[in-house]
Amino acid sequence: MAEKSAVERSRSTVFVVSARKRMLNKIAKTAGEGLLFALASFVAVIVIFIFFFVARDAVPFFQLRGFTEFFTSSNWYPADEPGQFGALAIIYGSLMVTLGSALIAVPMGVAAAICLSDILPFSVRQYAKPVIEMLAAIPSVAFGFFALVVLAPLMQNSGGTMLMWAWWLLVSPFLLLAVIVASDLLTTSIQDEKRRHNRYMLFLTFFGFISVALLFTVGTLLNGIQIITGTNALNVSIILSFMALPTIVSVSEDALQAVGRDIREGSYALGATRAETIIKTILPAGSSGILAAVILGIMRALGETMVVWMASGNSSHIPDPWFNYLEAIRTLTATIAGDMGEADQVTGSARFHVLFAMGFLLLLISFISNFVSERIVIRQRRILSGQ
Amino acid sequence: MNIGTRKILDRSFTAVGIGSIIVMALALMVVVVPIVSNGIGAVFFTGTVEHRKMLRNEFQRGDTQHLASEVASSERYRARVYEILGTFEKELEGMEPALKRQYTSKYAQTRTAIQALLGPLPGDTTPMLTRFKYGQTRWEKAGEKLHDLLYESKWDNSNSEIMGKEYFVSRSNAFKGTSLAPLFPYMKSNIEKILLPEFTVYWGFITDSSVDSHFFGGIWPEIQGTFFLAMGAMLFAFPLGVIAAVYFTEYARPGFLNSMLRSANSTLAGVPSIVFGMFGLAFFINTLKVSESKSVLAGSLTLAIMILPTIIRAAEEAILAVPKTYREASLSLGSTKWNTIATVILPAALPGILTGGVISLGRAAGETAPIIFTAAVSVGSAIGLADVFSSPTPALSWNIYNLASEHEAAAQLRHVQYGMVFALVTIVLLLNLSAIVLRAQISKKMKG
Repeated sequence: MAEKSAVERSRSTVFVVSARKRMLNKIAKTAGEGLLFALASFVAVIVIFIFFFVARDAVPFFQLRGFTEFFTSSNWYPADEPGQFGALAIIYGSLMVTLGSALIAVPMGVAAAICLSDILPFSVRQYAKPVIEMLAAIPSVAFGFFALVVLAPLMQNSGGTMLMWAWWLLVSPFLLLAVIVASDLLTTSIQDEKRRHNRYMLFLTFFGFISVALLFTVGTLLNGIQIITGTNALNVSIILSFMALPTIVSVSEDALQAVGRDIREGSYALGATRAETIIKTILPAGSSGILAAVILGIMRALGETMVVWMASGNSSHIPDPWFNYLEAIRTLTATIAGDMGEADQVTGSARFHVLFAMGFLLLLISFISNFVSERIVIRQRRILSGQ
Repeated sequence: MNIGTRKILDRSFTAVGIGSIIVMALALMVVVVPIVSNGIGAVFFTGTVEHRKMLRNEFQRGDTQHLASEVASSERYRARVYEILGTFEKELEGMEPALKRQYTSKYAQTRTAIQALLGPLPGDTTPMLTRFKYGQTRWEKAGEKLHDLLYESKWDNSNSEIMGKEYFVSRSNAFKGTSLAPLFPYMKSNIEKILLPEFTVYWGFITDSSVDSHFFGGIWPEIQGTFFLAMGAMLFAFPLGVIAAVYFTEYARPGFLNSMLRSANSTLAGVPSIVFGMFGLAFFINTLKVSESKSVLAGSLTLAIMILPTIIRAAEEAILAVPKTYREASLSLGSTKWNTIATVILPAALPGILTGGVISLGRAAGETAPIIFTAAVSVGSAIGLADVFSSPTPALSWNIYNLASEHEAAAQLRHVQYGMVFALVTIVLLLNLSAIVLRAQISKKMKG
């Protein structure tokens, strides 16, 4: 009987695993992975459930009342007997404030993203990013409270003056630039130095007078405007734009960073200024990412509830004229939030189901925009990596 | 183009970019500064003797003896007011009908104004609502009510082009010659001795329940409700989110199914918050019947599915940021894949995951739309821990809306609204600040 040496003994216990144990391990591994997959696919299950349950309560409305009245009529009287459910004015209100906030937020957001990715030094960027994150973190009800209690009375008391100041502050720099560029472009063809300089000054003063006159006339016009109600579409658009800004800025900045250094360096090497590099090379290259960011930001504005509920005036009518942002409007989200309390008492009625129909409309729009923005990002990634 | 012009364009481009960021920072300040400055006024303010009386009667707080002497001193000055009122009432009785009609409604207005300032007058029946049992508790509100007493507001609608203008008519002129006339100058000069204002620090605003729908008392039930809802949401979403993120980063193979799952994640992130609320109502309450009607459980579940995508994204980023070398070293030492994840990767990614969790917590605390239909009530006392499965709760976010828009006395309770908004914004900003600090510490550790 030969005694096994210590090395032999240890070798046999450590490196040989029985077949049974191996199979148990394999079962445990697949079971564990399966469990993980099940838990992870919870997310997809939730999405499907949301779609299903909202649709389930929305379809009865269309079965009861059809599609025409909902989408083409502006008569929204759900409490009447029989109720009228024309949601055109409400849909228009939603689109109006979304467009308004996009007009303010998109230029500002893209400019800020460009600034963060290309212009600001790294140390300043470290301080700018927390500011944007704080702006994103403020709850929507706090924004709504601010819009109702601070901005609305301000607009009502001195709305015209506010508009005039905004006009002056925003437009005068751009007009000044336009004057300079126009005068320059109109005098490039003249060869003689002295004559060109004189012509340049002439154009400068001429265009300068015109723009100052323009500023003054529109400014006084605006100053005379009396804002009747402070809770209106303009109020909501301004606040919504500040809520959509952080989304647009962060996603755009990611897109701009993804455009590689080689493109930038090539452009600088050819003698372009920083502005020209950004406008002519980087922006086009990152355009799909910026487009995706804009879509996401707009979706945030469209789906916002508390701000519009508190500060839009909640008046279901299409403004007269159609571009009058100084009138009270009503949005889909505010209608759902406001009416559900009473509608819930009569589950099964058209009043209850029409709210789900509105929710389903919002859900559909958000699904489609999400899908579109994903496609854009995938296409851009393919283009950038393919080159 | 001229090189000079190109330079100007370049500089102005830089200016536009920097200007946008400055505008954002300004917007942040413009929104936060009024909230902070007015919100502090909910706790630190000049309170009157009525406030101290209310604290004594409703909450049994305060020095009884000192209060008794203050009340006695105030009553000495009030006695004159009661005297004048009594004299005028007798005079009113004896007037001829035409004169009587002229003075009766104006006297009623004056009496209501006095009651708003001083509380119930002797001879009045005890009011049912607590808000009428006391006079003005805050000195700045007392100043406004004094103005209401001394001046009557009228509207000038003569100019049809502009909106009507408000102007004020002195009430003492209306009562000139009657025995009520000395009331007004007396009130004006003695209001301080009657109401005895002094600087108050009312920490009870944070710890007391509200008395008579927020007329007095504090906002503790709302704070606790927000805490329950946010914690409940994290309880459901955090483990699920981290596990899903582990699956996405470690186990998922590129393929149709997994790209669908990632799509689902970003789709869920884009769903409007009000639709989450409707889903919570339709699914958790009406279909699954987790509770009979609104409850903290249903609200937490709804909030959980809302913050789930954010947690998954943050956890994914944190796990991906763990250096490959950690994984390779662990595997080379003979550890299994699951063991590596549990003992090496997750602890290394934990700070990043926690950062994402803290930000999501802030989001869950601040959201209103998901809880409107599933968990929130406007008034109520703080619920006990055992009731979370069955009863709804007041919450800061919902009650800010309710108090500011639907409450019948919204304009009088501005200080409470500001206090609530201040509390909510403080909670959320503190959470976010800690997340930012945490992230800065992580990047410092990663570099060094």
